[in-house]
Amino acid sequence: MFKKRFFGIFAAAILALSLASCSSTNTNQVSGSGSDTVQDKAQASSGTETGMDTKKDDEALSNKGADSDKDDLKGKNFDEIIKLAKGSKVTFYGWGGDEKLNNWLDKEYIPLMKEKYDIEVVRVPMDIEQILTQLSGELQTGTDGSIDMIWINGENFQSARSNDMLYGPFSDMLPNFKQYIDADSDDIKYDFGYPVEGYEAPYGKAQVVFIADSAKTAQLPKNANELFEFAKENKGKITYPALPDFTGSVFVRSIIYEKCGYEQFQDMKPDKEKVKEAIEPALKYLRDIKPYLWNEGKTYPESSSTLENMFEDGEVLLNVTYGAYSTSVNIEKGKYPNTAVSFQFDKGTIGNTNFLAIAKNSPNKAGAMVAINEMISPEVQAMRFKELRTLPVIDYSKLDKQQKAAFDSVDIGKGNIPQDELLSKRLPEMPAELVPVIEEIWKEEVLNKD
Amino acid sequence: MKKYKKDRYISGVITAIFAAAVILPVLTLFVWSFTQRWAWPYIIPGNFSLNAVIDVFEKLKKPGGILISGVVLSLITALLSVIIALMSAKALLFYNFPGRNALLFGSILPFIVPASVFSMGVQLLFINLGLNNTLHGVMIAHLIYSLPYALRLIMDAMSAIGEKYEEQARVLGACGIRAFVDITVPMLLPVSLTAFCMAYIISFSQYFLTLLIGGGRVITFTIIMVPYLTSGNRNFASAYSLVFLGISVIIFMLSKKAAAISNRQLKTQLY
Amino acid sequence: MKNKIIPYLLLIPQFILSGLFIAGLINAIMISLGIMPSLGLNKLTFDYYIKAFLRKDLFDSLTFSFYTALVSALISTVLGVFICYFMINTKRGISWIVELPIITPHVVTALFIISIFSQNGFIARLLFMFNLIKDQQEFPVIVYNSGGIGIILGYIWKEVPFVIYFTASIMSNINEKLGDAAANLGAGAGRIFFEITLPLCKNTIISAFLIIFVFSLGAYELPFLLGATKPKALPVQAYEQYLHPDLRNRPYAMALNGIIIAAAMLSAVFYYFVLKSDIDKKLKNKNLNTCII
Repeated sequence: MFKKRFFGIFAAAILALSLASCSSTNTNQVSGSGSDTVQDKAQASSGTETGMDTKKDDEALSNKGADSDKDDLKGKNFDEIIKLAKGSKVTFYGWGGDEKLNNWLDKEYIPLMKEKYDIEVVRVPMDIEQILTQLSGELQTGTDGSIDMIWINGENFQSARSNDMLYGPFSDMLPNFKQYIDADSDDIKYDFGYPVEGYEAPYGKAQVVFIADSAKTAQLPKNANELFEFAKENKGKITYPALPDFTGSVFVRSIIYEKCGYEQFQDMKPDKEKVKEAIEPALKYLRDIKPYLWNEGKTYPESSSTLENMFEDGEVLLNVTYGAYSTSVNIEKGKYPNTAVSFQFDKGTIGNTNFLAIAKNSPNKAGAMVAINEMISPEVQAMRFKELRTLPVIDYSKLDKQQKAAFDSVDIGKGNIPQDELLSKRLPEMPAELVPVIEEIWKEEVLNKD
Repeated sequence: MKKYKKDRYISGVITAIFAAAVILPVLTLFVWSFTQRWAWPYIIPGNFSLNAVIDVFEKLKKPGGILISGVVLSLITALLSVIIALMSAKALLFYNFPGRNALLFGSILPFIVPASVFSMGVQLLFINLGLNNTLHGVMIAHLIYSLPYALRLIMDAMSAIGEKYEEQARVLGACGIRAFVDITVPMLLPVSLTAFCMAYIISFSQYFLTLLIGGGRVITFTIIMVPYLTSGNRNFASAYSLVFLGISVIIFMLSKKAAAISNRQLKTQLY
Repeated sequence: MKNKIIPYLLLIPQFILSGLFIAGLINAIMISLGIMPSLGLNKLTFDYYIKAFLRKDLFDSLTFSFYTALVSALISTVLGVFICYFMINTKRGISWIVELPIITPHVVTALFIISIFSQNGFIARLLFMFNLIKDQQEFPVIVYNSGGIGIILGYIWKEVPFVIYFTASIMSNINEKLGDAAANLGAGAGRIFFEITLPLCKNTIISAFLIIFVFSLGAYELPFLLGATKPKALPVQAYEQYLHPDLRNRPYAMALNGIIIAAAMLSAVFYYFVLKSDIDKKLKNKNLNTCII
């Protein structure tokens, strides 16, 4: 009997604890400024209405734009912002798996920011899903933010935007953005078909290329059909990463573009049946090619990094990557043979832009803006192009002679496609919300069908 | 006597096979740390490079670096785990009190819930308590996951030793807590050190928990290492892993040394 | 009267930590029930569980997870106890070799398994060198095998040493005290092992087994890195849903995790009864705390 009573107390204590955690959340939200609470409620109701549906809510979005007006950075000129940021600390959250990029940030960019603006940039290696988890937790409790700058794009940007997790619009306040970036180009205006609206500034460009070893592969496939023939001739030597890996996903989208064109998808709604119907020729292709794939398409590498390792080891003949100029980098590192070459399909390959955003609750928005402004300066972009072979985001035609020379002098290295040719065959991404739908269809119609 | 020898011979062979099965894979880490490319069908890799190793050493060289802070964090966590485990084990084993069963069950729950799931659930709570992004917050989170291992080990050992010695001490006039500290704790030292090591490694290898509770502000060695591991960067991954293993082996060895020394002292005390 | 308080005093830190843990767990369960105020999800719903149970591959994933966890835990426990017994016999104690796999992260273990057992691995290369296979494709698919062989191998490498480590101190204790006596009386190694050591270590061994079983049921790293694309272990499914960029998908990921936890919980209840019966037995034989501070 005594036992039972104590158990009851124990359970009650736990309940109280967890309730406390919930209720303090609420009080925090209420104690925020008036407009904030209204905002939260508006968002809450729209959230429950849509329920599990992943549809974005445009009305809620246009609502949200308004509340950033109260932020005191608006209307300040950039010199004032620089002054404000002096001596401050900026945290830069982003993926940390590329040692070359990490080193460049640590050894070049961070010292530069310290020297030029007296800003201490702290690089925090974290995957985007963790960053958004942390950010949403902080926003919910209304505590001080810890995230300033975020490396983000695509579906994650859309998710962060539709949950009102980002600060902005800010990109039109950056002098370098106004001066050197073509704000009207689709690459800058849209992120996976989703309007950027000034809530992120471009960081670098990516574009899909295929990579082969020219010593082993004389004839490079120029389209999906030739790829099919190639797979037949080299049974078991070709594969692509299992979806939802982002590279595997873009490979499938590439095949869809080849088989079904890209135009029809630009304004397609994420209706599963409709999408399935539209991409059926590509699905058939992917099913038909299975017997010729690595392990007969019974299993796929789980990630693009595994596929890359398999290509390095010579286990497969082709690699697919978003890193348009990674071939020369990997040749220089000694990971790829000297004879590795990248190539595109004749009709072109998918490209996208990755961006920098600022967290809505960032404690140092001024510092983050200065840091982002510096990142898109012609000097830093040229440095990134030279050392990391990241495709620059600035508009070449807006540069002066000296700045142009900095880009012209860059040796893109072995095995890469010249920039003008690469960009001339650049296809836009599908709308972000189609991507998970296609991933689901692939699983049902390709992976699980023999 | 002959039979005894044969037994030892068999034991030696089995131990040797086991040792080979453990060590051979670890050797590949050494090879990969210096290798850029190891293409089929070569048995010995082709492209050697010092990039990864140099990078690791540069990172570790930094004053007050990630290495020190991460190791110290885990060492303190491990120490606290052992102390708390000793206290809990004592209470759970030798006292019958209401609520014991519930606590006993509660103490093993962390085995069941993957740390990644727990960290998502507890994140909000920690933010509310002001524990996120702090060293002590991360330490508490680690404690939750390392304690069950320490507790299991210590409870097993404590129940094996029993209260016999403690009772003798009490008969001789020592009171409960003194008897516990003077007699039971030294007897438990070897297993406490095992528990310490176990708790240490649980804490040192925590990735999700450290990331979500530490908010990226608490940077441990694991936080730096895991992105290389998941990005398939084999030479960097291997070099970092080697350092990771190296540190942990050293800590395990030191605690074993400590166990040996204290054992000797204990024996001289008892006789 | 005072001694009634002692256990509670001793348990204060445990109580706080368990409380925090359970509060976290409850929060996680709340997420799976659709409560995520930060995203404006405030309505309690079982929709995510329903969605999870309606998945065609749920059953496959669940069985696959159970199967790999059970097989690897069984093999690891048997091998571990067996090797531990012999290792103690060498009288050198437990060496650092045992500790190496315990401190190795799972992701690194996956790297080992791939570089040794894959079609591109060391064994395949050796066979190729001796002309036993002519092509990588001739080497059997061990690593990404749909029967989970790669996953099981990885777990065995990690968990056998864990079992040894976990049981070694108690086993060597027993061996020292009773084994030598039995040996002097003429009992063979086999008899000592089965009739003395094993029964006395039973609970520790079951503990070790359940810890590794429950762990491998819930962990996603090895199944993700070493498993086939289908069937996919349940934790991998949950992990994929967690990676889904739409944050509103989190409750669904948590619901999948909830199913894993429920499965593990059943095992834990069993574990708990083993533990409890063990302690109760010991308590019965003791005069409880008569000492006064």
